[in-house]
Amino acid sequence: MAEKDTSTRRAAKSRSRRRTESVTQSTESRTAHDPAKPKRRMRRRAPQADVSVIETQTESEEAESPQPEADVPHLALRRQLIVELEELVKRLRALHPSYSAQPFSARGMLDMIEEGAEKVVPGFGSGLIEKARKFISEDLFDPDTWKGLLYMLNTSVESRVDVVRRRLTGEYETDEWGMDREYIEAVRPFFEFMYRKYWRVEMSGVENIPPEGRVLLVVNHSGQLPWDGAMLGTGVLLEHPHHRLVRSLYAAWFPTLPFLADLFVKMGQVLATDDNGMRLLEQDQLVAVYPEGYKGVGKLYKERYRLARFGRGGFVKMALKTRAPLIPVAVVGAEETYISLAKSNLMAKITGFPYFPISPTFPWTGLFGFVPLPTKWSIDIGAPILMDGYGANADRNLVLVSQLTDQMRNIVQEMIFARLAQRRSVFFG
Amino acid sequence: MPKAHVVLVTGVAGYWGNRVAAQLIEHPGWHVIGLDSDPPKEEIEGLDFIQADVRNPVLVDLLEQEKVDTVCHLAFIESFRSNEAAFDLNVMGAMKVLGACAATSVRKVVLKSSTLVYGAHPGNSAFLREEHPLQGCRRYEYIRDLVEIEAFCNGFRGQSPHVWLTILRFAHIVGPKVDTPMTRFLRQEQAPMLLGFDPMMQVIHEVDVRRALVHAVQHDVPGVFNVAAESVMPLARVMGLAGKPPLPVLHPLAYLGVTLLGPHYAPIELDYLRYPCVGDLSKMRAALDFEPHYTAEETLREFAAQQRLRHYLPESAAMAYDEERLRDTLERRRRSRGQPVATREPAPRPSRRRTKSQGQAHVKDGENGHG
Repeated sequence: MAEKDTSTRRAAKSRSRRRTESVTQSTESRTAHDPAKPKRRMRRRAPQADVSVIETQTESEEAESPQPEADVPHLALRRQLIVELEELVKRLRALHPSYSAQPFSARGMLDMIEEGAEKVVPGFGSGLIEKARKFISEDLFDPDTWKGLLYMLNTSVESRVDVVRRRLTGEYETDEWGMDREYIEAVRPFFEFMYRKYWRVEMSGVENIPPEGRVLLVVNHSGQLPWDGAMLGTGVLLEHPHHRLVRSLYAAWFPTLPFLADLFVKMGQVLATDDNGMRLLEQDQLVAVYPEGYKGVGKLYKERYRLARFGRGGFVKMALKTRAPLIPVAVVGAEETYISLAKSNLMAKITGFPYFPISPTFPWTGLFGFVPLPTKWSIDIGAPILMDGYGANADRNLVLVSQLTDQMRNIVQEMIFARLAQRRSVFFG
Repeated sequence: MPKAHVVLVTGVAGYWGNRVAAQLIEHPGWHVIGLDSDPPKEEIEGLDFIQADVRNPVLVDLLEQEKVDTVCHLAFIESFRSNEAAFDLNVMGAMKVLGACAATSVRKVVLKSSTLVYGAHPGNSAFLREEHPLQGCRRYEYIRDLVEIEAFCNGFRGQSPHVWLTILRFAHIVGPKVDTPMTRFLRQEQAPMLLGFDPMMQVIHEVDVRRALVHAVQHDVPGVFNVAAESVMPLARVMGLAGKPPLPVLHPLAYLGVTLLGPHYAPIELDYLRYPCVGDLSKMRAALDFEPHYTAEETLREFAAQQRLRHYLPESAAMAYDEERLRDTLERRRRSRGQPVATREPAPRPSRRRTKSQGQAHVKDGENGHG
């Protein structure tokens, strides 16, 4: 085994030597056919063990070790043939100097790319292409490369097949709301990318969220699509010491949309109804509400960062009934992800959307219009406002409810203005 | 022997009436009268069977004369298409039975309904409580009829407060034997799923349905209750556990297909495959005090196992190897010829069918006399 290893290593060495030769040749006359090519073809056709034998033979000959050729007459014959072939190639090259390697071979493809790239950016091929060329010529003919690749492919396919099989036979768990941990783990890299790289979200005050127990986050809503909810959830999941899952309450429009309906439920989000909110808080979950609703998310660009009406105060009633502390949250940066210049009521009616924004890119550019701008975001989580001091039936006290609603709205608005006052640039913070 | 309770089970020839009556008889102290327009296919020992339609106006006299205490109304036709005959039996039948109960000394009525009456809507809460408005779909006859019956019951409750009304709203019923819209859906060659939708679902085992109905007859629990198995799960998981790979279909195409081909191709209304329609079970646990035996996972795994086995069993396996049934048949034939009843086999097993009671023979004789 060890003997074979050394022989293959030596073979590789000699091959690489040959390669450098051919590289120098090809740099001399790039269009000319590489003489090493047919030789390699010959060798490739022979079984691997034989190749190494040939190589050791050549090397040993070069080292002038006495090895009787008569022992392996067919090898001598082969070598002779190779020499003849090389000469033939040389003659052919002389006849057709414009001939180049076939484009369908890996090498030919590289030559083509290099040639093309050279025309555009001079000197482009020297680094990358050289490396690729080396990789193709050396590692590609090493069986261990293929074994390794096959092994990796096999394992990854096997684990995928296992997941798919489990999903198809229903052997997975969801909670009673449909939240699916596996699904969250699968989509998390994307949201993590959006959080860390795309919007470079800065989260402050995450320590205001207690490690456990019921909490109601009150968040401003903006940005045409509910990216703010996704980023708040991602942020708390990543940065909170207990990695709590935020249950955002979403509007009744989303369940009618294919894929989004599914995605929201599997990510643990819940439709905004009084029953759902109460049940979540009674289960001591971390719930987020966006009291502005469509009015907030569908804001025009000129109205940005001016909070809309905070619903009918349903969230305050929920908090009073369940004694859940309210935590104000201000998201800054989401308003500029899409620039809504106008709203079309006609299109909203036709498409069934709750609002239909007209932006410089939407709907004119189709799907491209959904790509958000890479603004710089910040999410500020305020201090909790406790609901303990109120009486038993405080949720029926409409004056108190409306007062608390307005108070929350003012707090969130002030937090937004405080952040905006510090912000120098929309895209760089 | 003093009969403390006289129960009238309607629709006793049907699947549910049959099972419920058979289980009620097993409890001593209960006299069970079965009512149906056709005699049950499988005779139930100890059942006091009366052949009549539930819409028969003489039902009032029957209830009065037999001193019926509780009525378990299970005569219902599960029809998909709009069907006047089904509507007449389901809705008019229920109205007439309830009317007759109000006019006599019947103490309580038990009805079987479904959580489908809430309807599947995008704005539905994740867990619908019993007070939720009934917005069930109007396209499928059986759901429409249930909604009609329940609407009538709401009025009835106010008009006749002396009759206790127990309505059990069951989730999708699944089981190896029963034929329900859900089992039909899962037994299809290709079960569709709407692409991009995966609503949460509840199921319940057929045995638990029977147990719940018997529980409601035996205990005084007036009110409306959602009844379902423990866990709630997405439709994809329901299908996975039931061993049915889903066929994803774009939802506009699916709706178009059902409109063109008719509801037989979609035993479950497509809205129920799109939006959640899940009942809140807290009232079932607290007020009804009923706990299902089977979890949803067990129910579906059992169904899947039975579906797999179905390919290997001979078609009439149940008939071919059921010696008890054959023995019963032989005995019946012997009796009808006037021969003495043969003595029992040496090792009697505790089985309902084999220990014949007098009631059955009595009813049988009575029928013969009439003929």
